[in-house]
Amino acid sequence: MSRYIASAAIRGANNIVEEADQLLQKALAEKGPDAPVQFPNTAYYLPVIYGFTEIQVSKLGDLLPVIEHARQLLHPVPRGKLWTPYLGEALDSGMATLFAEEAIMGIKYSLGDQPEKLDGYPGLVTAAGEGYCNGPIDDVQLRAWGIQLVDGRMPGFCALIGCAKSNEVAVQLVRELQRRNILVFLSGNVNGRSIIHQLLEEDVEMGYDTYIIPFGTDTISTIYPLGFATRSGLTFGGLKAGQARENLIYNKFRVFAMALALGEIDDLKYATAAGAINYGFPAIADTVIPEILPTGVTEFEHVVSMPFDDIDGKDDLERAEKLIQKCIEIRGVKVQIAEIPIPVPYGSAFEGERVRKDDMRVEFGGKKSRAFEYLRMLDPDEIEDGKIELVGPGFDEVEEGESIDLGIVIEVAGRKMQEDFEPVLERQIHYFLNAASGVQHIGQRDIAWIRISKSAADKGFRLKHFGEVLYARFKGEPWNSIVDKAQVRLITDPEEMKKWIGLAREAYGERNVRVAGLTDEAVDEFYSCTLCQSFAPTHVCVISPQRLGLCGAYNWLDCKAAHRINPTGPNQPIPKGEELDPQLGRWSGPQEFVYDHSNQSIDQVTMYSIMIDPMTACGCFECMVLVIPEANGVMIVSREDPSMTPAGMTFSSMAGTFGGGLQTPGAMGVGKFYLTSPKFISADGGFKRVVWMSSFLKESMPEEFKAVAEREGVPDLIDRVADERSATTVEALLACLEERDHPALKMDPIM
Amino acid sequence: MLTPWATIPLISAIIQPATPGTYDTDLEGVAVMAVAVAIPKKKWTGQVRDVVLGATEADGGTRSKTVSVGGEGTLPFLDFEAPMPNAPRVAVEIKDRRPDDWSPILLEAWGDFMDDPAEWAKAVEKLDVDLLLLSISLTDAEGSETTAEQARSTVRKVLDSTGLPLVVFGPGQTEKDIEILVAVAEEAAGERIVLGVCDDKNYKTIVAAAMAHGHLVDARAAMDVNLAKQLNILISDVGLPLDRVLMDPTTAALGYGVEYGYSAMERLRLAALQGDGMTQQPMLVTPGEEAWRMKEAKVGEDVPEAWGDWEERAISWETLTATTLVQSGADVVVLRHPESVRRIKDLISKLWKKGE
Ligand code: SF4
Repeated sequence: MSRYIASAAIRGANNIVEEADQLLQKALAEKGPDAPVQFPNTAYYLPVIYGFTEIQVSKLGDLLPVIEHARQLLHPVPRGKLWTPYLGEALDSGMATLFAEEAIMGIKYSLGDQPEKLDGYPGLVTAAGEGYCNGPIDDVQLRAWGIQLVDGRMPGFCALIGCAKSNEVAVQLVRELQRRNILVFLSGNVNGRSIIHQLLEEDVEMGYDTYIIPFGTDTISTIYPLGFATRSGLTFGGLKAGQARENLIYNKFRVFAMALALGEIDDLKYATAAGAINYGFPAIADTVIPEILPTGVTEFEHVVSMPFDDIDGKDDLERAEKLIQKCIEIRGVKVQIAEIPIPVPYGSAFEGERVRKDDMRVEFGGKKSRAFEYLRMLDPDEIEDGKIELVGPGFDEVEEGESIDLGIVIEVAGRKMQEDFEPVLERQIHYFLNAASGVQHIGQRDIAWIRISKSAADKGFRLKHFGEVLYARFKGEPWNSIVDKAQVRLITDPEEMKKWIGLAREAYGERNVRVAGLTDEAVDEFYSCTLCQSFAPTHVCVISPQRLGLCGAYNWLDCKAAHRINPTGPNQPIPKGEELDPQLGRWSGPQEFVYDHSNQSIDQVTMYSIMIDPMTACGCFECMVLVIPEANGVMIVSREDPSMTPAGMTFSSMAGTFGGGLQTPGAMGVGKFYLTSPKFISADGGFKRVVWMSSFLKESMPEEFKAVAEREGVPDLIDRVADERSATTVEALLACLEERDHPALKMDPIM
Repeated sequence: MLTPWATIPLISAIIQPATPGTYDTDLEGVAVMAVAVAIPKKKWTGQVRDVVLGATEADGGTRSKTVSVGGEGTLPFLDFEAPMPNAPRVAVEIKDRRPDDWSPILLEAWGDFMDDPAEWAKAVEKLDVDLLLLSISLTDAEGSETTAEQARSTVRKVLDSTGLPLVVFGPGQTEKDIEILVAVAEEAAGERIVLGVCDDKNYKTIVAAAMAHGHLVDARAAMDVNLAKQLNILISDVGLPLDRVLMDPTTAALGYGVEYGYSAMERLRLAALQGDGMTQQPMLVTPGEEAWRMKEAKVGEDVPEAWGDWEERAISWETLTATTLVQSGADVVVLRHPESVRRIKDLISKLWKKGE
């Protein structure tokens, strides 16, 4: 920690503890040790003291051990050149400061000197009546706000301490916070002038109703917000007095609070800030101060300096706006957009909607133009959150029914974001855009194809609204758990289009390479999916990089992202554990996981075999793989194929027979991309075992199968595989295989 | 060779532990082999949490008693394996006003009590049940939306008129539930009532309200083991201790999917007994509401004659639905008709603590 700050904080702490002691002595002399000490309309005594030390202060005499305790936490001011990591000393001093400050306020209540009088300001509306600052937030209000803080309707609170550059800036800061539903707590002054004075002069209404609470014009009254935080932990965290550590942890992770110091910072402010850092509340200053960036005690940075005049902005108002934006980022407060600002209805009900050619105002991509979408991750500093930019002309000048080029580039940043999640997020664009009424989205990457209907365009829907939708959705639940900032660029300009489509294709290429290199051996964890247990109670999909979920909807990366987003959801990491049989794909981790999550009914499972302990089948698998013993191989039936198969069953009767969470050697449900994996029944001989496959499958991914055939060393393998056109009985199948000289016939017996 | 008769004493041996060699038989000339039968007992590692509803004056409330639910270490009524300290509890549902959509049979059963929730609550208390469930309607008698203030005053009236521990359900729409239950929680501060339903959409607020005022929640998920478990995890993540959570796996009426509810509950309970800490909540289900929504219970006209007497059929529908759920591990069943209450209480008294 900066020696400068540590020294100042320690000095400030020493002084305030001394001040508290003197005040206490004076009060004791005047009123005696039994004079009551109490904050009005609140439980938990003097809450910071009670919460951390269990001392129940109810009379002056009770404060003696508190001051004693505070003294023990004090340290000498660091001297000379010797550098030690001062954080510990400063944090102790911070706690001592808070105890002293709360003691002072307790004494002042006892003497009738609190809440602070604020005469001459008739506009001030406070709970305590006109002409007074607020004092501690009363219990009724604590519970009402507490509920909203817990459920997230209120993102957090911000303490503004000191005096803003101008009245105008003061108002703007407060408005920016209010706009986001963040509670505003006011205290402190610079040379006698407080932000409370500034707001009063500007006729800003303060009080519980407006979420702006003036606590007092001195720094000491900053103790009230911290008391509020402590009481929240006691009320909503199920914590008991004396659980100091738990209370601090509760506040760090649950109470999204921060302090913004306005104007010059003196020793007492540093000392108070050091106290607040104990709670995990970061401090931001609008002046030049040494920063404390390494994170640890607070969730993110501890102390950040943002000199007001250096903030990039066209005027002070814009600077104020940016300052608040930065505070929010530092504390990691998530603010959601309640309603997407677009002129058409929005909801998943519109996802399936089609825009036919005749109803179409304009289209992007398809046969006549190009459209691509590309999402990438950047550093937080490179993103201006919420920026939506149209690069090139919109479609107003374009004739009805025309087709034009469009690039959608989304840039996101987040502390929990990973490059691996880019494709997972990018794939959401399809769902996000489709949910707008009058918009149809098909495809992905550089084969995207988007249409806007005439009626949507008539209602005023324009390209920038794609940006509004995408921004709002990525910043909404659940994606906001990995996306902190986002900006969207919509490109129609030919030059820019050329540049960006190039960049996008480069990225697609890199991703393909990365995915190809992502093998089961390369990772330590697989993922589970238990979504299908609602109808197949013993089914668990074990999802590895080379084997996706049966339904085809979840691959390993999806699961990884889903787990980040929803840590208690159906996708849980499964450590591979001990390698029991690499050939079969048997590890101890998946076996234990499946046992625990299948009602203890399945304890053996392999990843690469259809014959030995295959994975269970739920019912929503894309393809059924079934052993045909006579042909010494397997057949693959796709869900889309209604025809009879050589096994004497159609897809639906197989689904009924083998689904529902059963484990059946010889039968397996799979996602179709597993068919092309080198791990596809590799323990049983791999893809060369495939003797029959629905023609639908062959035709739906011919390129992929061609590559598989080459990998297997039989380039015309797919042509040798029978389908429903060549064989629907075992006899016909055998004849067909003989004729085509299928390699399975010469392989080792499958059973 | 043993004749089939010779097996009879073995059945009685299950009820009365056998003492080897002391069997009498009146089947002269039949060779009887006395066998000591060891009843197979399953050893479970887990146990359902014990949850206490209601607070008496000693704990800062005004209820005349508290009610413990859950706590069992075995499947329903198999208390020769492990204790089942609490019988399944019976709750009766009342509304904040005379309901518009209840079956005439129920209207007849409760009569004028339905015009005043306080009177209705008193009538319920006379049935000697364990709990009272007050469900708030979406609209008042004039058709305008029930306000938080109205709900608050109804809850106050009901609390003042009865000593039964209380469960309060909102109208079942996320926004409205939040508005109403937050106010109700405040009004009933300290009474340890159960707030419901708490689901994946509203749980943060409902849980916060429960934490703020010392209540419990009824965590409802749609007939799915994993969803129920996930909701419990989410609730405990917000900070409510699990001994203040009931889970409500949702149920359906006889003939309308009760077997799905049964299966979900059974699997939840098996998981709980196998030691999965996040499924060890006592279960509350609402067979009354489900059964009385169905044509068989609700309607008396234009139905096949073979369906028989309407009233008897309706009550049977509710009773059979509830019986099924009690057998699958329900710790609280919420009923509507007084006669169903009598029958279910009778059933429970015949099953509970008979195996020790
Ligand atoms: S089939 Fe799909 S949804 Fe079902 S469990 Fe597997 S991955 Fe999850």
